[in-house]
Amino acid sequence: MKLFEKSAAELSAMLQKKECSAVELTQDVLDQIAVAEPQVGAYVTQCEDTLEQAKRVDDARANGESLHPLAGIPIGIKDNISTKGIRTTCSSRMLENYVPPFDATVMQSVHCAGMVITGKMNMDEFAMGSSTETSYFHQTHNPHKIDCVPGGSSGGSAAAVAAGEAIVTLGSDTGGSIRQPASLCGVAGLKPTYGSVSRYGLVAFASSLDQIGPIGKSVKDVAMLQSVIQGHDSMDATSAYRTYTNLCDHLSGDVKGLRIGVPKEYFGDGIDTCVKEAVFAAIRQLEAQGAVIQEISLPSTEYAINTYYIIASAEASSNLARFDGVKYGYRTASYDGLTDMYEKTRSEGFGDEVKRRIMLGTFVLSSGFYDAYYKNAKLVQRKITQEFQQAFQKCDVIITPTAPSPAFRIGENINDPLKMYYNDVCTVTVNIAGLPAVSVPCGRSSDGLPLGMQLIGNAFAEQTILNAAYSYEQIVGGFHVIPEAFCTGGANA
Amino acid sequence: MKIDIAHIAKLSRLRIEPEKLEKFETDMEAIVNMVDRLPDVTDELTLDQDHPMHLREDVAVEHKFRRDEMLSNAPEVQSGCLVVPKTVE
Repeated sequence: MKLFEKSAAELSAMLQKKECSAVELTQDVLDQIAVAEPQVGAYVTQCEDTLEQAKRVDDARANGESLHPLAGIPIGIKDNISTKGIRTTCSSRMLENYVPPFDATVMQSVHCAGMVITGKMNMDEFAMGSSTETSYFHQTHNPHKIDCVPGGSSGGSAAAVAAGEAIVTLGSDTGGSIRQPASLCGVAGLKPTYGSVSRYGLVAFASSLDQIGPIGKSVKDVAMLQSVIQGHDSMDATSAYRTYTNLCDHLSGDVKGLRIGVPKEYFGDGIDTCVKEAVFAAIRQLEAQGAVIQEISLPSTEYAINTYYIIASAEASSNLARFDGVKYGYRTASYDGLTDMYEKTRSEGFGDEVKRRIMLGTFVLSSGFYDAYYKNAKLVQRKITQEFQQAFQKCDVIITPTAPSPAFRIGENINDPLKMYYNDVCTVTVNIAGLPAVSVPCGRSSDGLPLGMQLIGNAFAEQTILNAAYSYEQIVGGFHVIPEAFCTGGANA
Repeated sequence: MKIDIAHIAKLSRLRIEPEKLEKFETDMEAIVNMVDRLPDVTDELTLDQDHPMHLREDVAVEHKFRRDEMLSNAPEVQSGCLVVPKTVE
């Protein structure tokens, strides 16, 4: 087994025992990028100094410095997270040449941990999409089936972990953008509680819903990376005031007596039978380990997609008003006056899906429609949140499918926005209510595509959902993340 | 519901190419019809009392960035200033 096939937790132990060096590990990942990237297309930008970064970690270790467990582990960063001196495009023509003069707070944490940054991961333009097809640069392919999408919007981040092109990655999740691609690519991904990870330096899509989170090969990898990035930050006014514990220190596979709620609304007609069967089978396996299963109801779930698209688009229309061709980003080549410059710049700089969302947001906030759409959606948001609060009085974890189907073919849904939006049907409620949720691999479809299970927790109950997910991972004997074609000895090795 | 795309685009400081107008209009109407389906909740929006926002102290902070750094991403710069089209006659 080559180094890129191992989890961050395994590699961390090897690095500490000096069974491999950070340079060897990084070189192994670079070799894998050279093999896999032409087929997968997970990166927008690859860093050129990865080996130098790794060497600094090896030197520090040789000097006996005390290092973070993740020091020397290669990490890919979604391209909407500001990285000082490294181009940050949001996969948009608008920011094609934008180089941030500052690091996002999460990047400061990643640097402090001594992780090796491999590059910036492809995504749907401004994180708007569920297939990474709206990227201005190129399509990312699902490593499990090259003609399928990796999901989105963090499609590059999930595909890179699945293809061994990075050991872990950071994504962002506004309506499912970490969990849905994690599900489609057969990896683990956590959307943390709103306020637990700083959004400073994350290019804003919908500020009240956005959250940065980790993607990895195992629950432990996700727990390790989340422990690095969580914490209060005075640079983010919505950052929660609380103390955080290391999630790995308390990772237990014990689910005895854990109360698992299964909401019937998430297993309806729109969910593929293979997905339902896989998730129910996983729930039964957890029950066999001592978890207590109960059916629950979250009746307002049927309004979740509508509520989400109103709130998210409203915030997006306001957030993306800053792209005007004045201070940074794209500016049209020729124009006649200020308004003409604004309109041409924005029309040429944004893709169609971004335009659609900006216009939807403008519409729902416009005079005469605000009460019927935005205000009503905010009230339904409160109702959805209250239903979760009531449910968490009866149970500790809520289990649902992550995505309604396995990965679909590239081009299959791109011309039908409503079909595309439906991909988020199981994930948006979590953002609406600000809760944490993790997606883990959970069986396969008949044609071998990964399926995902979502474990939702109460606010700041990351430990509870990660423990339950860890228990499932142990029951199934670990997740076999990298498809054979991308492993050592596979067709492409 | 009929959506006037040209008007919404104007409010959004966007322009839609004529050949794409029809597709945008059809898609937008379908999306608005979808999001239209919400229950009538007769209540008032209130601030979240359980999680009040903590505002930081209003104190001057040192400049973190250099002028040339901030201008390095600007589309057009002259003598250390951003260049914009003439807005006042």
